Amino acid sequence: MAGAAYGQLNLEESPSWGSRSVECFEKLEQIGEGTYGQVYMAREIKTGEIVALKKIRMDNEKEGFPITAIREIKILKKLQHENVIKLKEIVTSSGPEVDEHGKSGGHKYKGSIYMVFEYMDHDLTGLSDRPGLRFTIPQIKCYMRQLLTGLHYCHVNQVLHRDIKGSNLLIDNEGNLKLADFGLARSYSTDHKGNLTNRVITLWYRPPELLLGATRYGPSVDMWSVGCIFAELLHGKPILTGKNEPEQLNKIYELCGSPDEINWPGVSRTPWYSKFKPSRQMKRRVRDVFRHFDRNALELLEKMLTLDPSQRISAKDALDAEYFWTDPLPCDPKSLPKYESSHEFQTKKKRQQQRQNEEMAKRQKVQHPQQHTRLPPVQQSGQPQPQHWAGGHNNHPMGNNTGQPPLTAGGPSHHQYGKPRAAGPNRYPPGGNPNPTVGGGGYYPDRSAGQGGVGFSGGPYPPQPRAPGVSGPRGSSGGYAPPNYTQNVPYGGGSGAGGGGGGGRGPNVGGNRSQPYSWQQQ
Amino acid sequence: MATDFWTSTHYKQLLDQEEVDVVHSLDKERGITLEDFKLIKLHMTNYIVRLAQHVKVRQRVVATAVTYMRRAYTRRSMVEYDPRLVAPTCLYLASKAEESTVQARLLVFYIKKLYSDEKYRYEIKEILEMEMKILEALNYYLVVFHPYRALSQLLQDAGMSDATQMIWGLINDTYKMDLILIYPPHLIALACIYVASMLKDKDNTSWFEQLRVDMNMVEKIATEILDFYDYHKTISEEKVNAAMLKLTMRM
Repeated sequence: MAGAAYGQLNLEESPSWGSRSVECFEKLEQIGEGTYGQVYMAREIKTGEIVALKKIRMDNEKEGFPITAIREIKILKKLQHENVIKLKEIVTSSGPEVDEHGKSGGHKYKGSIYMVFEYMDHDLTGLSDRPGLRFTIPQIKCYMRQLLTGLHYCHVNQVLHRDIKGSNLLIDNEGNLKLADFGLARSYSTDHKGNLTNRVITLWYRPPELLLGATRYGPSVDMWSVGCIFAELLHGKPILTGKNEPEQLNKIYELCGSPDEINWPGVSRTPWYSKFKPSRQMKRRVRDVFRHFDRNALELLEKMLTLDPSQRISAKDALDAEYFWTDPLPCDPKSLPKYESSHEFQTKKKRQQQRQNEEMAKRQKVQHPQQHTRLPPVQQSGQPQPQHWAGGHNNHPMGNNTGQPPLTAGGPSHHQYGKPRAAGPNRYPPGGNPNPTVGGGGYYPDRSAGQGGVGFSGGPYPPQPRAPGVSGPRGSSGGYAPPNYTQNVPYGGGSGAGGGGGGGRGPNVGGNRSQPYSWQQQ
Repeated sequence: MATDFWTSTHYKQLLDQEEVDVVHSLDKERGITLEDFKLIKLHMTNYIVRLAQHVKVRQRVVATAVTYMRRAYTRRSMVEYDPRLVAPTCLYLASKAEESTVQARLLVFYIKKLYSDEKYRYEIKEILEMEMKILEALNYYLVVFHPYRALSQLLQDAGMSDATQMIWGLINDTYKMDLILIYPPHLIALACIYVASMLKDKDNTSWFEQLRVDMNMVEKIATEILDFYDYHKTISEEKVNAAMLKLTMRM
């Protein structure tokens, strides 16, 4: 009986209840990197199955096995849901890695521990960062519904994720979305009145109550993040992009209005309320700023981006929102297109190679041949492919004509089986680069600058152009297809600085955006 | 921590008595009998409780630590995994898993304070080493459900709130046995209520009947608890020491 129960993980290999060795896997490629440890794509030698290996770094020998890893393992072993990443097993390495440290060989504790996850091809940020790719409304609804379903499951199981953001939402080529990276997750109970840390959730997705210092909170913190993602999907770029905590709070106030005892009873008792009290009253502008969203989307977004956590919509109620039950309905995940896998580490390498190739091509004034045959659907239509980072080609209306390998189109996905946690729970220290999709900072140095520049919160909101001529999947889709939505934003300080057509349409609109792409039109 | 015991790994891992009562072959070679095996686990439970009182952690942490220790010995040998190291390590790991972290150096400090016997003296490094081995022995299943969980509601419902203290104590004592590895925790809680009802001459038959639980099981567990109390009277320090000595003796 015990054998069967334990053995569901590794029955044959380890009748003695040990963990399997990481040598059962062949590491293929590194797909993530962070202080937490590296993430590898790997193949199980026996079965050929592709998995993701997340290394748990054991550097801090002072307190043994990291409590963050204990939390994550506890939580992942308990959560079994189609919209939650599956922890398949835990494997250890011994031997060679031990010797590297030059310490007493053979002890497993000196080696490494890896969490073995099912492999996922993309994350939401990476996917949406793909140049020229734009999600359709049924696709956005499909992802949002899966996100909410997975989150509802977590909340029912009394788990707060506490780091909901695009790069932690993994997507496979079947269109399935799964919550990943439970490294900051905590179980909570309504009866246990312990204080929780407010230094969680990536700044841009952090709710006002945490920024105001709350240490008792619940599932509503995750729902704020969901609201940010929802708006981001419809809007085409992150909506609240503060560089530090005061600025983040200010951006929230500018969008959602300043909090008071009327819209948020009890807010004046939050620890840092007076510290961050805005100098003037601000009106809620969500409906104004996002007036190009369709009515049901806006209604749902309003409920998610509610300042008062107790009034914020729950995952369960959000799933019942009109938005998911009105045309166009969420599509079937399986009907979604398959994309070339996008992992930061892979795309980084490919990009480097591409850059070299381009320079070569420039010098030789010849077009180098197409290197990859498998194209993401978006490429096949000759969608403009901005190459802002490389300089030079971004005005080219037809990216493929330059003969550039389409694979470089993959966004900086910053795949998050495990993530860099350079600054502890607060990933983006005040003053630092708060851009959650830029791993080490500096790989896409333009990005945050570009976004800072185009963000609506820096001053008066720029006009949200209706993008005349946009024809979405349906006739009426002017409202569904947000004019600003393209994926080349990240590259582009790009869109403003380099995008040719940007000038006339407001800062967010690059040249490509007047030809919004919808793969449904194919 | 999970809301639903029936979908938990704890439930899937429940063992049969026969599986729990297997003395590892290495331990058998040292002459450890089933009784010795149980005595040592009892002794180590007491050790964990004692240590926990000094480092001041919740009962829940103690319960989880004891469960880890007992689970570990369903598949590890005491000769290879010295109980005197495993016990504090399980407390250390449980304190993390139950979000009441105790620093390893604090544990080591109190171990030295509590035991002059050198055999108990382990250093931080050794605890951290053992932690990894325990994690493996547990196959990283760290969630444990305890009978305390629903107790107050059950007692209120049964009209036995006045016996809370007694039943809480009974539950604590069940960790001196292997019940937590074998039975669902709510049945252990009910068995303790059953025993308390008997001791207090309170007739709860109708209350138990309307619960729709397997009363045979509850009675079986209650009998085991009562048998254990009888047996417990016969335990002497000499017996425990003799069992512990077999571990260290070279054959």
